[in-house]
Parts: sequence; C-alpha cells; structure tokens
Amino acid sequence: MVIRAAAVVLLSLAATFAAAESRPSFTTQAGNIIAAELPLTILSDAKVTRQLGSGLTTTFVVQIHQRQQSAVIVARLEIRYDLWDEVWLVRRVEAGKTGERQRLPSRAALETWWRTPLRLFATTTSPAKFDLDLLVLPFSADEEKETRQWVSKAGGVGTSARTSGLVDALIGTTIAARPIMSWQWTVEHPLR
Amino acid sequence: MRAFRPIVFSTFAVAAATLLFWLAIHQISGVWLGLALRPELREALEQHRSDQLALRRIDPANSVEYRRRFDNAQHLLSRIEILRRGEERMVRRFETILVLVFALASAAAAFVILLRQRRAELYERRTFAERIAALQETARRQAHEIKGPLTAARLELERSGDLVRASATSSEIAAAHQSVAEELERLAKFTRGFASLGGLGKPVLRNESLRAMLDEFCTTFAGAWPGMTLAVEGRDRSAAIDRDMLRQVLVNLCSNSAAAGAQSMTFTIDGSSSIEVRARDDGRGVPAALSERIFDPYVTTRPADEGLGLAISRKIMLDHGGDLKLLRTAGAGATFVMMFGETDRRWN
Repeated sequence: MVIRAAAVVLLSLAATFAAAESRPSFTTQAGNIIAAELPLTILSDAKVTRQLGSGLTTTFVVQIHQRQQSAVIVARLEIRYDLWDEVWLVRRVEAGKTGERQRLPSRAALETWWRTPLRLFATTTSPAKFDLDLLVLPFSADEEKETRQWVSKAGGVGTSARTSGLVDALIGTTIAARPIMSWQWTVEHPLR
Repeated sequence: MRAFRPIVFSTFAVAAATLLFWLAIHQISGVWLGLALRPELREALEQHRSDQLALRRIDPANSVEYRRRFDNAQHLLSRIEILRRGEERMVRRFETILVLVFALASAAAAFVILLRQRRAELYERRTFAERIAALQETARRQAHEIKGPLTAARLELERSGDLVRASATSSEIAAAHQSVAEELERLAKFTRGFASLGGLGKPVLRNESLRAMLDEFCTTFAGAWPGMTLAVEGRDRSAAIDRDMLRQVLVNLCSNSAAAGAQSMTFTIDGSSSIEVRARDDGRGVPAALSERIFDPYVTTRPADEGLGLAISRKIMLDHGGDLKLLRTAGAGATFVMMFGETDRRWN
C-alpha cells in the first residue's frame, strides 16, 4: 500500500518536473520587458532535430495573444547548420534588438544561445496575462523568396508572359512556409 | 421538365468531361512534379555534396573549387526540399485552376449551344408565323374570288336539277348532275378551308382553367367522332387562352386522330415546367417521312383533305404565345403537345 502511494507520488513529481522542463520560464528585464527562456526539449525534439539537419534555415516564430486580440509576432529565431564549416549559423530578432548573424562552433554553444532569454514585449500590467505560441517553419523567408524566383525563371523559359504570370501566381501561393510544429502556453507572469 | 432536358444533359456532359479532364491532368501534373522531385535526384545531389566534403579533406589545395560545387549542390537541394514541401499543395492548386478553367469553358460552350438552339427555334417559329400570315392573305383573296362563281354555279345547278326532274329524262343526266354537285361541294369545302385560314383573327386571351375547358370540350364533343372516346388527365392549371380558337385546335387534332383510326384521345395537362397539354391518341400515328413537314400547309395523309388543319392549329398556338409540336412517340399513336404561356412573342 505504502509502496504504491510512494510510486504515485514519484510519478506525479516526475510528470511535474517534465512539464516544467517543457515550459518556457519567464523573467522581467529592465524597462518591464518580459523575457522568455525557451526549453531545451524543443531543440532536442526528434522532428526539430531532423529539420535542423536539412540544410535549410529552421525558423522559430514566437507570437503572443493578449485579451482575445489577434496574434502578434514578437520574436524570431533562425538556425541553420552549415555542413561545410560544421558550424551553426544563427540569428535572433527580438523586442528592441535587430539580430546579428552568429556562428556557433558546437551543439553546446547552440544550446547556450537557445537558453538566452528572449525579449518579448514591455508591459505595465501585472500580472501580465497572455498566450505564447511557438511555431516552427521549415525554411526562412529569404529561402522562400529565392526558390520562388528560381522556379519562376525555370518555368518562364519558352512560355509567354501571360503563362509565366500564371505560373508565378501559382507558385507564389503554393511556395509558402507553413508551420511543421507548434507549441502553445498560457502565461500569467507577475512583474517584479 | 422537357424544357430543362438540354440543360440537364449539358450539365452531365460538362461534369463527365471535367472529371475525365481532371483525371488526365492529375496524371500529367503528378508525372511532371514527380520528375522534378525524384528521390534519385535528391540522393545524387546529396552524394555530390558529400563528395565535395571528402575531396576537401583529400585535396585541401582546391578547397575553394570544392566549396563552390558544394554550395551549388546545397542551393539546389534546398530549393528542391522547399518545392517538395509544397508539392501536394501545388499539384492541388494546379489541377484546381485547370479544372476550373475547363469547367468554365465547357459551361460557356454549353450555354452558347443552348442559346443557338433557342434562337434557331424562335427563328423557325417566326418564319412559320410569317409564312402562314402570307398564306392567310392569299387564301382570303382566293376564297373571295371563288365564292361568287361557286354560289352562282350551285344556284344554276339547283335550277337545272329542277328542270331535269320536271322533264323526267334519262338517268344518265341525273348521274351527271349528281357528279357536278359533288365536285362543287368539294370545291365549296376547299373554299371553306381557305376562308377559315384567311379569316383567322388574333386570339383574345383570358386566364382560364384548362381542366374546365377540356372537360367541357370532351362533354360537348363526346359523340362527334363515332368510336373515339375523349378523356382528360392531370392537375388543373390556369393559362391565357381564347376558348373558341383553342376549341378549333382540339377539333382539328381530334378529327385527324379519328381519321387515323384512333379509338381514344387523351388530353394530359402538364405544368411541371411550362404549361402544356399533351394530346395522345392510339391511331396509326404520323408517318416518319411526314413528321418534319406535318405543320406545313397542304401536307396531309388524306387525299380529300386540304391539309390546312395543323397549320392553322399551330398558328393559333403561336398566337397564344406558345407552340404546337409533334412528339415522336414509340409504338402506335401520335402525341401532340400544345404549349401555352411563353412570354417571348416577338413573332407576333
């Protein structure tokens, strides 16, 4: 009886710990800016790992909803593994900062970069209540644009301007990054 | 329902053609994109990329060239991967656009065909009405010219008959007298037909119950054609008619049926799409050779008939804003359709 109760308690604790590990943690930075530290479990997810090795720029889009309002994109993380140099090329765009491209030499460096708190938005309301969405896009906007142009050129050879326009329109509406994975958390974060 | 038949047929034809077209396009687009996104192509590019990495280690001096090749392969792979992710969506859109274009084109073609059929039908009606109108005028004049001498000849014949009877001469004179009388009667009948056509006026239309009108006709004319019964079927509908002129149409149809050996004539009121009355008999029917020209003046199967009855009847129905048509029916009997209430009366 006692053993069974202890097992239940242990399982509950493990589940709570695992849940805490898969949730972002939030802090308040100077200027009442709420920052989020994304969990490593996302980066080590099998599907995400496979995507990171595709040679394309995996883009993590962070968006928030407040009080039934439509979603607003507040941050973006871009990661591409360069097979030639065997480095991680990363960039982060967040509140008040335009991201610089960085070269990270190892997976450990990538994980450290990933855990750096991500500045989301400034608020004066405490506690700040919002929904946080994390969407994983399989490629970046630049890669999408480049592929469209490439296909458009390839499709335009030997066709009339009108046909080429139709091909462009068709491609323009079909080559678009759509999320391959997503997470959502409901957050209630008191300001300091 | 008959009026919708071409539309239903066209819709089915367009749907079937669109389905076939979609199947063809599905195959074509699938093959097209399949060629572009073949796994073998990707595998070859990945191998080429790996080869450049290996070559760099073996031959560091030409590292720049290997890097260039590596980047080219990587770019191509990235593009193919992006295309592959949108493949299903692209094929679907491509097929949808083509199918829509094809369906619209087919629908437009079907619409044009229907429109042309309708215009041809209206043109035929107008031409017929104009032809009958011209014939009416000629008939009126000829009937007028014939009537005078015909009356005089008949009066003279009656007088000579009295003289023959008084003198009690041979039976040959009596037979000749009888023969001339019969010829004159035939001429008089022909003239009455002409006069009937020439004197055909415009109908004075009033909304009336078709059922009541047909019931009354069947009761009144129950014994008019010995051996032939008259009946009415179908739900009542109201139509704009001129009773007297419509009765003339019914009399003409019944007379033809009786002459064709019919034992029954059934009038069926049908109001599912346009208002129609079908007159169906069980006589010998209309010979196929005559069916195309049956409404033309002077076309008849009976030597003693002037062949104006159906021409007059169709003219009356056209003046009603409708038409009179012969339905090709399988088996014995003939079926005519009296159509009412069409709004397009441009031929009037």
